[in-house]
Amino acid sequence: MRVLSTLRFTLLRLMRNYIVLLLLLAVPIALLTVFSVILSGMVDEAGRPYFDQTALTMVLAFQLFGGSTVMSYLNEDLFARNRERMTVAPFNRTLYAFSILLAGSAFSFLLGAAIMAYTRLVLGLVWANWGWTLYLIALMAVLSSIVCVIFVCGVKSFSTAERLSEVYGVGFVLLAGLFFPMPQHAVFEFMGSYGNPLTLSVGAVRAVEIGNWNEAWFQANIVLAAIGFLFPVMLVMGRRRLR
Amino acid sequence: MTIFYFTLKRSFANLANLIFLTAAPIACIFLPAGEGWPPLAYGYAYFGIVILFVAIRLAQIMMEDRVKGILKRLSVAPVRYFSYLGQHLLAYAVILILQSAVVVLGGWIAGQELHRPWALFALYVSFSFAALAMALAWISVFRSKDAAFLFYMSLIVLAALLGGIILPLEIFPDLLRRIAVILPTFWFAEGLKSIASAQPFADNVRINATLCLYALVFLVLGSTRRMQ
Amino acid sequence: MSLRTERTWLANGWRLLHFGFLTYLWIGFDDAENTFILLLLLFLLTSLRWRFELPAAFLLPDILICVLYFPYTSVSYYALALPIFEWAQRGRWPFSLLVFVALGFVPFFSGWLLWYFALALFVGFFLDRYARNLEQWKKEADEQRKARQELERVKAELLEVQRSVSKQAELTERYRIARQLHDHLGHDLTGASLALQAHAYAEDPEEAKSLLQEVKSRLERSTHSLRETVHDATPVAPIGVENLERALLHFQEIDVSLRKSGDLLSVAAYQWSLLEACLKEALTNIVRHSDATAAEVTVQVAGAIVRLLVQDDGTPRENNAQSESGSGLRSLNMRARALGGSLSTSADNGFLLVCVLPLEQEG
Repeated sequence: MRVLSTLRFTLLRLMRNYIVLLLLLAVPIALLTVFSVILSGMVDEAGRPYFDQTALTMVLAFQLFGGSTVMSYLNEDLFARNRERMTVAPFNRTLYAFSILLAGSAFSFLLGAAIMAYTRLVLGLVWANWGWTLYLIALMAVLSSIVCVIFVCGVKSFSTAERLSEVYGVGFVLLAGLFFPMPQHAVFEFMGSYGNPLTLSVGAVRAVEIGNWNEAWFQANIVLAAIGFLFPVMLVMGRRRLR
Repeated sequence: MTIFYFTLKRSFANLANLIFLTAAPIACIFLPAGEGWPPLAYGYAYFGIVILFVAIRLAQIMMEDRVKGILKRLSVAPVRYFSYLGQHLLAYAVILILQSAVVVLGGWIAGQELHRPWALFALYVSFSFAALAMALAWISVFRSKDAAFLFYMSLIVLAALLGGIILPLEIFPDLLRRIAVILPTFWFAEGLKSIASAQPFADNVRINATLCLYALVFLVLGSTRRMQ
Repeated sequence: MSLRTERTWLANGWRLLHFGFLTYLWIGFDDAENTFILLLLLFLLTSLRWRFELPAAFLLPDILICVLYFPYTSVSYYALALPIFEWAQRGRWPFSLLVFVALGFVPFFSGWLLWYFALALFVGFFLDRYARNLEQWKKEADEQRKARQELERVKAELLEVQRSVSKQAELTERYRIARQLHDHLGHDLTGASLALQAHAYAEDPEEAKSLLQEVKSRLERSTHSLRETVHDATPVAPIGVENLERALLHFQEIDVSLRKSGDLLSVAAYQWSLLEACLKEALTNIVRHSDATAAEVTVQVAGAIVRLLVQDDGTPRENNAQSESGSGLRSLNMRARALGGSLSTSADNGFLLVCVLPLEQEG
């Protein structure tokens, strides 16, 4: 499998992408540190520290932007700069696109896990269920990557695809009501709870914290279903674009 | 004044810029108000962040010129560098002032509680100058457009958080509150608070003067490299 | 780093430290906002001073602002350290001392303040001295470098002149000989040849006798003229290998044998002078540094080179430091290289010097 040999270079590229490391690792860590200082000692009505919820939301929110590397590498290699070289590459281009998708999602997942480790080791935050949280981080990473691939395959201009992915990320963060309260309207309420992957994954983790596994699985499975639905869409669009 | 008009046109040429420059201020008008925090409606506090983003977006036009080598061609044109810079800055300032006017005017028409619209407008204008100067100083250091913008974006988020725009400063520990005074966003938040709580006029003058001082400092710091 | 950048780098470092210290002092104060405006103003003035070359008088606004803030915060007293530093750094330390007067207005006594001022004064003063010294040293180094380059240039010119003079002398001499032969010899021989031809046709025995007499006298004259020309062309001064022989003659300390081979006449006069100098230097080295009793000098002309070898029969020297060329050998090496040849020495088996020079191809 020649595509496997390219995986090493994809990983090297990811490692050297300092801007992405800054945005998806350094910025969350800085923000979490600041928040932990500000919110230290503050608890809500149920006695749970505010910081817990903030950290969880932040870790999952940054996963919404994890698809950017997948998008840019895909564009660079298959649609723009290296396009001609790729047509004579001795491996299947679809498989190569998949390898980029996997590597990018794994990278985003690893960064999320690193942030979790940081909060545990440096900020002293105790996560209730590591495995479940990591599972949800992985789901979010894969979902974001698939959405970004759909954007880049569906839209002619790459910068428009970039903007769309930003709208996707920022949009769901806003719809979750993190910055300011959303209007009281059915659509917004739906988009703020069951229509929003961010709120779904946060909800799933919080449900496990209080032991409500049914609700947790329900919300996680909605995300999984979204992935399952968007995956063939991505395949179709990718095939069409690569031809 | 050719450069001035062309800069105005270029600022709106990009679709993303167009949306950002027109939709964002309008969106800010209609964001809801919170209870007790923020001092004015959400949109009016977040407009400060919008100003910071708009400033770096506009300053990137000049950075584009430098990166694409247009600046080299300009150096043999009968245009003094000072005139080039001045016209660009004037164009950006005009855009930002127009946006501030739209937000304040729109809010007044839409019935948002603005307490003192003129003072608010003055605050926005002086913060725009400070934001422009900071953006210019920032791009004079960088070579890559993307790196400059993304790095600056991270800093904007941090500065907005630490300065007290997103969360009230009262919940911050003492040390962070002290350090926050260094950030221009703190002075912006102070200005909003002073407008909302009807502080004496001298207070507003003090805050606006400090923001202009920031603008001067960053202008001097950013003028070291001649963008060539 | 140029002088100014080095000085400004240190000065900027001190200014940053100063502001860091003021910020640290400021953090502990109650009236955070207004004191910060003081810091911002001072920072603006310092940035202007950093960006533009402002004259020293522009420190007065700094002092004015600090004085205005005296009643409000004690950070302004510490801020006065910057004007002290700036004035000292520009060499105007009397003004800095004036600022110490402000210590009299301080409502509280702080030893730290006094020492901070003194530190600022000292650092500025030191920076100023250091910058001046640096400038001085650089100037000296530049001058020395210029002098050395001048010297090298003159040396190269002299070597060139030596070569061209030798060529000129040769050409002049050739011309003189050619002229002499043409004027006297050619004339006489032609006349003798004509007289002989006339003699072959002469019928009168008296005429024939007188013609023969003419031939005889003409031949005598030409022989005489030839002898003169040759005699003049024979130099009195030693030429060629006689240079070396004469040098060896005056060398009595050890036994030296000379061997020659090849067409020594093809070596030019200016090359002989260099070979003689090499020989003298080699023999001096042998006598001074080795325990040899005899030396062998070989001059070979072969192909397009002339080679001079000087080998003594001394014991190999242990310490290799001696084998470093002295200044004499170095300059000879340079001259040899300037003539397109080379000079090398070796101390492995006694002292060996080899000088190789290329021969001029006679055109």
